[in-house]
Amino acid sequence: MSGCAGGRRPAGEPSPAEVGANEIATGRRTLLKLGGAGLAFSSLAAQPALAAGAPLKDTKKRAYVLVVDGCLPEEIDGALTPNLRQLRANGLRFPRARSMPIMETIPNHVMMMTGVRPDRSGVPSNTIYDRKRGEVRTMERPDDIKVDTVIERLNRHGLRTGTVLSKDYLYGIFGGRATDRWEPFPLLPVTEHAPDVFTMRAALAMLDDLDPHLMFVNLGDIDRFGHSDVTGPLGVKALRRLALADTDALIGTFLDRLKSTGKWRDSIVIVLADHSMDWSTFDRVVSLQSTMDGDALLRGKVQIAANGGADLLYWTGPRADHERAVARMRELAVKVPGVLSAHDRRSPSLRLGPQAGDVVVYCKAGWRFSDPSPVTDNPIPGNHGHPATRAIPFFIGGGHPMVPRHRASSTIASTIDVAPTVARFFGLRGEPQGGWDGRSRL
Amino acid sequence: MTAPTSLSSPVRRRTVIATGAAGATLTTVASNRRADAAAASRRYFQHGVASGDPLPDAAVIWTRLTPTPASRPGSGKGPRAEVEWEVASDQRFRRVVRRGTFTTTAARDHTVKLDVTGLKPATWYHYRFAYRGVRSRVGRLRTAPAVGSSPRYLRFGVVSCANWQAGYFAAYRGLAERDDLHAVIHLGDYLYEYEPGGYGYGMDDRDIRPHDPAHEMVSLADYRRRHAQYKTDPDLQDAHAKYPWIVTWDDHEVTNDQWKNGAENHQPRREGDYRRRRARAHRAYDEWMPVRMNGTAELGDGDRLYRRLTFGNLAEFSMLDLRSYRTEQVETLLPFPVPTTEPAVSDPDNTITGAAQLRWLKQALTRDQSLWKVIGNPVMIAPLAINALPDQVVVPVNDLLGVLPDDGFPINVDQWDGYTRDRREVFDHIKDHQVQNALFITGDIHSGWASDLPYDAATYPLSGSAGVEFVCTSVTSNNLKDQLGVPARSAPTRAVEAAILVNNRHIKYLNFDDHGFSVLDLTAKRAQMDWFIIGDRAVKDTRIRYSTSFATKVGTNRVTQVSGPVGR
Repeated sequence: MSGCAGGRRPAGEPSPAEVGANEIATGRRTLLKLGGAGLAFSSLAAQPALAAGAPLKDTKKRAYVLVVDGCLPEEIDGALTPNLRQLRANGLRFPRARSMPIMETIPNHVMMMTGVRPDRSGVPSNTIYDRKRGEVRTMERPDDIKVDTVIERLNRHGLRTGTVLSKDYLYGIFGGRATDRWEPFPLLPVTEHAPDVFTMRAALAMLDDLDPHLMFVNLGDIDRFGHSDVTGPLGVKALRRLALADTDALIGTFLDRLKSTGKWRDSIVIVLADHSMDWSTFDRVVSLQSTMDGDALLRGKVQIAANGGADLLYWTGPRADHERAVARMRELAVKVPGVLSAHDRRSPSLRLGPQAGDVVVYCKAGWRFSDPSPVTDNPIPGNHGHPATRAIPFFIGGGHPMVPRHRASSTIASTIDVAPTVARFFGLRGEPQGGWDGRSRL
Repeated sequence: MTAPTSLSSPVRRRTVIATGAAGATLTTVASNRRADAAAASRRYFQHGVASGDPLPDAAVIWTRLTPTPASRPGSGKGPRAEVEWEVASDQRFRRVVRRGTFTTTAARDHTVKLDVTGLKPATWYHYRFAYRGVRSRVGRLRTAPAVGSSPRYLRFGVVSCANWQAGYFAAYRGLAERDDLHAVIHLGDYLYEYEPGGYGYGMDDRDIRPHDPAHEMVSLADYRRRHAQYKTDPDLQDAHAKYPWIVTWDDHEVTNDQWKNGAENHQPRREGDYRRRRARAHRAYDEWMPVRMNGTAELGDGDRLYRRLTFGNLAEFSMLDLRSYRTEQVETLLPFPVPTTEPAVSDPDNTITGAAQLRWLKQALTRDQSLWKVIGNPVMIAPLAINALPDQVVVPVNDLLGVLPDDGFPINVDQWDGYTRDRREVFDHIKDHQVQNALFITGDIHSGWASDLPYDAATYPLSGSAGVEFVCTSVTSNNLKDQLGVPARSAPTRAVEAAILVNNRHIKYLNFDDHGFSVLDLTAKRAQMDWFIIGDRAVKDTRIRYSTSFATKVGTNRVTQVSGPVGR
């Protein structure tokens, strides 16, 4: 399976859940049972080493980052999401907000927490071709992230952090970074995500019993229902609408809990998506593998990591032929029906880093990639990764005085702005080595 | 933004108040001097002053000098003359920030046009000209906000289609009387080419005031004289003096239904080579309008009119030229509003923009410099058709037979409906790149419209929308009610409006009855267009009143009616 639909891991490699269980079994994390409904959490067994300077642990400030995975900005203008709409209207919104390449779940969640682009974070896409292992795999290992996250920075200042991540691969890549972590359950087969009703129960339990300063929550239903919604290409989006209404109601309970417990006045609530969504019919599928293999120079020397609306092409032939091969891959790709554009991965605007291969190919709106097999690798109608899925909702609410009221900004915001915003909110001094790529939106 | 104080013309709006005999004497002397100065000013600067194309650090200023009585527009007569100009940050010119001398001659019809640079962004300035110690009236302009800045709001007057013969320019008076705009957008048909009796008021083309020259404009002298005549209108002069203008042309700046190599109202046998006629029209336009053509205020360096103007990160205007590069309109048997079934409107070889301008427009949309991608669009882009069929039906039928227009049977092939492949390319580009907040503002059709822009009109709203379009009505040019010779809001126009709305679910507002102007207000939350309408065009001081407002919330690509106008 390509892109967003569940993890793709080499044979014999443990799943994120197995890695997490091992952390608990070996005593690196301590298992907690909270919420009275069988919810499992784990906490770091040892307190992280504190950074120099005064710890911030006495602060009342709380930051909640709620990711409505795959949501389109205009979906919040409908009647299905009254809670999100009100939160947006009362706070500061960014109507020009965007996901960053590749417009996929894992890289954009990593950008949210690191504040840097993939050429620095090491995570350009959901799926890469791992040159060392010679296999296509999902970026779901904790050591795939090469830089500090704001989670770890807050830990070092004595603050408590929590992750409540509905998707198995997000749970995997953020690993044991947070002081407190939800062990997602139940995970649905195929989608490998926990339904939002369970994720929200976990978020509320963590709020009530662990009260972390920063909580990072991924709500996966809007994305997962969107991927599988066969009415999407017709514009009906029946499943998707159900998910929007349900998830909005759950977020309403979360906001109510903040208010009823008095946390609201000390809180910022950052709501955003990691990417949006586009739908294609069964006859609008692009598969580049056969095109590459049909060329004498490229035959058998191109590996493809398919990421929904983006294909990453890797040259595996002789280094001496690299430049010629890159030019040839681009030339051939743009001629394929449904392809929007093909870029040299080294293009300065992409900032994807070498993990993303040599050529990045985007499809047009209403199309999707399925590689290497045009039939079996990506049968789902909902996809993202291409420019048609770039726009995202992004707004900041909450009762803390730092939150502007009833405002909209005409500046561009993006997923890389979350970490600097959180850092600014808590008053963290300094920036990561090399500085933030994003900027605080407060 | 700072609301500037009102500027009144020294000629038209002077009020004298005297108290006591001494005061009366002094006032009379002063008044006489001012009257003399005003008369001299009227003599030298008969056509007012104007400004345009504001940038963060520059703007074009304009006037026309009449150095001698013989130096009439288009006459080719008159001496070389030195005109002084100055720009100040205050109304009394105590803080002059730029000044200079401009040399004009009969070769440029004694027009004065220059690009004043070194200005501060988002700032009101005042400007004036002087000849032999006699000053022009004072104009004012506002520079654009700085690149990257976030203006809280932007507000523009929007007008099109002003036919001198059809009546008085009360709509321009409406703009000049406001004090809350940042600029005026003119979307074309600033003037008309017709001879007296050729196109006027109502179905019998009565001339409320006849054109000069008294024949269709064809020669360079004709175009100059016609421009000059329009610029003697006091309401137009006031509107030009009050705000910088951002203009584009439609067809009548040259002649009716022009395309790149001809026009409906051009007869080569009598009127010569079309491209030469157009070059003369463009030359006069460049001389007489406060606009940068080919990116400069110079004359004779090219006539490219499509251009971008950026207002911080809130709005970027792409002003289109949809006449100079288009292929010929598809021939139809019956006139507007009778639909045509001609499939050639979807011929991929037909273009309304030309290839270069289409590439440029797509770049403007993708580069995403600002929240609102405003397209100054001389003719309507919203599909306006009947019997639209879904793409899933049309595409295979046309692949086989090529007998159907892409987007239904269009009512007016002179607009984007006659060039559906260009429209599809723009809309596909918007969709492929998820371009947000594309906002087309449009003129040409002498009626008010607010519309979503469906990707597929037949399946709308399921197909989604590429943006929205607001269409201002005409200043004076005949609308459907006038052409039918029926009263406003009577059954015939209501019937046509109803038929169009039923067949085009994306169109939310349509008014075939009124003339006037619009006000476009942009914030980071929404874009709103207000329509103001005038009474009888034949009455100089006819009443102006508010009509309706529609808005689009940011990111939605849909229009909805809102309760009232902005800023009043």
